[in-house]
Amino acid sequence: MLRQIFVVSAINFKSLRQRLWRSLVIVVGMACVIGVLLSMLSLTEGMLAAYMKTGDPGRAIVVSTGAQGEGNSNISRDKARLIMDAPGIAKAPDSSPLADAGINSGVPVIRVNGRPAYDTLRGFGPKGVMLRPEFHMVSGRMFRAGTRELIVGVLAKTQFRNMNVGDKVILPDGEWPIVGSYTTGDLLDGQLIGDTETVMKAIRRPAYNSVLVRLASPSSFAGFKRALTTNPALAVDPYLQSEWYKKISEGFSTFFKVIAYGIGIIMGVGALFGCFNTMYAAVAARAREIATLRAIGYDAFPVAVSVILEAIALAVAGALIGALFAWTLYDGVDGAFGNSVFKLTVSPTLIGTAILWAIGVALLGGLLPSVRAARRPVVEALRAT
Amino acid sequence: MYYLPLIWAAILRKPTRAVLTLLSVMVAFTLFGLMVGMNATFDTVAAKARADRIFTWPRFGGDGVPVAVARQVAAIPGVKAVTALNFLPGYVQDPKNQAFMLMVDKDVASVFGDYGVAPEQWNLVWKDRTGIVMSRMQAARWHKKVGDTFTMISKQVKRADGKNSWDFKLLAIVDDIPQAGNGFIFGNYDYIDKAKPVADQGKVNEVDLLADDPANASAVAARIDQAFANSATPMQTITEKLARSGNDFGGLDVKKITGGIALAGMFMVLFLTGNGIAESVRERFAEFATLKTIGFTDRAVATMVVLEAALPCVVGAALGVGLAAILARQIPKLMPPGFGIPLPTMSPMVMLWAALSALVVAALSAALPVLWLKRMDIATALSGRA
Repeated sequence: MLRQIFVVSAINFKSLRQRLWRSLVIVVGMACVIGVLLSMLSLTEGMLAAYMKTGDPGRAIVVSTGAQGEGNSNISRDKARLIMDAPGIAKAPDSSPLADAGINSGVPVIRVNGRPAYDTLRGFGPKGVMLRPEFHMVSGRMFRAGTRELIVGVLAKTQFRNMNVGDKVILPDGEWPIVGSYTTGDLLDGQLIGDTETVMKAIRRPAYNSVLVRLASPSSFAGFKRALTTNPALAVDPYLQSEWYKKISEGFSTFFKVIAYGIGIIMGVGALFGCFNTMYAAVAARAREIATLRAIGYDAFPVAVSVILEAIALAVAGALIGALFAWTLYDGVDGAFGNSVFKLTVSPTLIGTAILWAIGVALLGGLLPSVRAARRPVVEALRAT
Repeated sequence: MYYLPLIWAAILRKPTRAVLTLLSVMVAFTLFGLMVGMNATFDTVAAKARADRIFTWPRFGGDGVPVAVARQVAAIPGVKAVTALNFLPGYVQDPKNQAFMLMVDKDVASVFGDYGVAPEQWNLVWKDRTGIVMSRMQAARWHKKVGDTFTMISKQVKRADGKNSWDFKLLAIVDDIPQAGNGFIFGNYDYIDKAKPVADQGKVNEVDLLADDPANASAVAARIDQAFANSATPMQTITEKLARSGNDFGGLDVKKITGGIALAGMFMVLFLTGNGIAESVRERFAEFATLKTIGFTDRAVATMVVLEAALPCVVGAALGVGLAAILARQIPKLMPPGFGIPLPTMSPMVMLWAALSALVVAALSAALPVLWLKRMDIATALSGRA
C-alpha cells in the first residue's frame, strides 16, 4: 500500500510542471494567507514576548487590591514599609530586604509620526537596579538619587521623539535632562527611569504605585502572599511578577489574536476555494492516468492519498513563502502599541502554526477532489477524451 | 447583452469551477469590505469630529483633579462651555464583562450636544440621581431596556459605604454616533461624587470644553496647557480634531495595515481569476477561432473574454461586500471584553472602491488571454494544434 502511494504520488509530482500555473494558485493563495497572518501576529508575538520577559518568576510585585495595572495601583508609604517587612523576601548584602517601591506614571511624549502619545516613566528606589540583574547602562551615566535626572531605554527613541541622551523631558517642575541610556532586554527598554522619591515630588504623588521584591526562593511566594493578604491593614494583591505580566497582557493579546486569526480565517476560506478549484482541475487533467493505474491494479486509496499529498506539498510551499515574506519584512523590526515598545517577532512557533494552517487548508481542499479521483469509474475515465 | 448567451455558456461549461471562483472572489471582497470599511469608519469619525471641542485631563495621571480646575478652564479666554467628567470603570457580573460609564454634570448638554441626548432625557437624569442614558449599542450589549436596573461593580472607585456595586436606572436609550464607536453610557456626576468618601469628593477625571471659534481650538488648547503648566495640576490638552485624525490606533497606522491586507486579498484573487479565465480561453481556442472565422471582430472576442472575467468579479464583489456588512454587525459579539475597535461601515465610497477593484481584477485577468486571441493563427487553432 505504501509503495503504491509512493508510486502514484511520484507520478503526480512529475507531472506538476504541466499544471504549473494551476498549481501556483494554491501556492500564491497560501503565501498571501500566511504572509498576512504572520505579519499581524508578529505584533502580538513581539509584544507578548516583551511582557513575558519583563516578568521574572523569581520576583513578586505587590499592587493595591483590584488594580488592573501599575498605573492605577496605590501603595502608601506605610503600606510599602509593611510589605517590605513581610517574610519570604531575599536579603541584600547589608541584610535589608531586597525590595523596592516604585512609581509608574504616564508622561506625554510625541511619537515619531508627530502624534501625541504617552510613554511610561518609572521610578527606581535604592534597590531598583539590584532587583533587576537584567539592567545595564549602555551610554552616559546613571541618574543621581535626589536629582532631577532621567535615563532612557534603548528602544524609546525608535518610537518617540527627543529620547536621546542630552534631550530634555518636561515634567511638572521643569525640564529634566536625560543623562544616560540603558537596556533590560524587555518592556523597560521603551521607558524612562528616574529616582522614585524625586519623581514623586515632581508629579505630586503621595503614594507609590507598586512594590517589587526578590523572593528568597521560589517556594517562599506562598508565605509572602499569605502574610500580605491576611494583614487587614494592607488591602493589596501580591503576584509573581511573571503572573502579573501574563495577567495584564491578556486583554490585548486576545484582542489582537482574535483580529489576526479572524482575518486569517476569512483569507483561508478564500484560499480553500482556490485549492478545491485547482485540485478538481488536477484530478480532471489526470483522469486517464489515474484510470490506467486503477486498471492495472492500483487501489483507490493510494490515488486519493496522492491527490491530498499534492495539495499539501503545494500549500506548505506557499505557506513557507508567505512566512519568509513576513519574516523578512517584520522579524526584529521596532514596533509599538500604546506605550509599549518592543521588537516585532516572527518566531519558529509562528512558522510552525503557518505550516499547520497550510496542511489544514490542503486537507480540506484536497479531500473532495481526492474522493472524486478515487471513485471515478475506470472505464468511463479511460474513454473520456 | 448580445453576447450574454455565449458568455453564460462559457461559464456553465465548468460549473464547479465557476462556483468556486465566485466563492473565492466573494471571500476576498468580504475581507476587502471589512478592511476598507474600517478605513471609512476612521474617516467618518475624523470628519465628524467637532472642530471646536477640546479635551483636557491630568497630564501625569492620578486620581483626578479638583473640580475647581473646570472653573479655571472656563475662565480662560476663548472658552465657550465647559463640562466636568468623572469616569466609572468596572464590570457587570463578571470581571470579563468590562463596562465604562461617563459621569457628567449639567453642562454636558452644551458640550456634547451632538451625542443625541434630548434636553428632556437629560432632565430625567438630573431628577433621578441614579438615572443613566445608554446608546443602543450598550443597551443591546447589556440586554437592557428603558426602566431596567443596571448594576456595575467597580473596584477602582471607592464608595463611602464600603460597597463596590453601583445601581443605576436606565431612563433613556439614544442612537449611536460614529465618534463613540462602541456606544456610550452617561450617568450623573453628582450621584457618584456624593457616594464617594469625603476625601475623594469634588474631583474630576477630565474636563471637556468648546472653543468659541473652531479656528481658535488649537490656540485655546495650548493656552490651557500653559495656564496649568506650573500649577499643582498640570493638564494635557488636545483638540478633538487632532485626537480623531491620522487613522491612529495606539500608534498603529490603521490605513497602512488594512490597505495591505485588502491588497493581499486582491492579489490572491487576481491570480485565481487570471488562471481561471486563461484556462477557460485555452480550452476553447478552437471555438474562438470559429467565431473569428464567421466574422467576429477582435474587439467582439475581447469583449466576450473581458465580460466572462468580469462577471464573477463583479457578482463576487457585490456578494462579498454584502457579507462584510453582515459580518461587521457581528464583530462586537466576537470581541474580547473591554476592547473595542471602530466597526467597519459599508459606505458608498467602500462600494465604489470594491466595484473599481473588481473591474481592475477582471481587466488584468483578461489581458493576457485577450492578447492570445488577437494574435492567434486561426488555421492552427481550428486544426486543434494551438
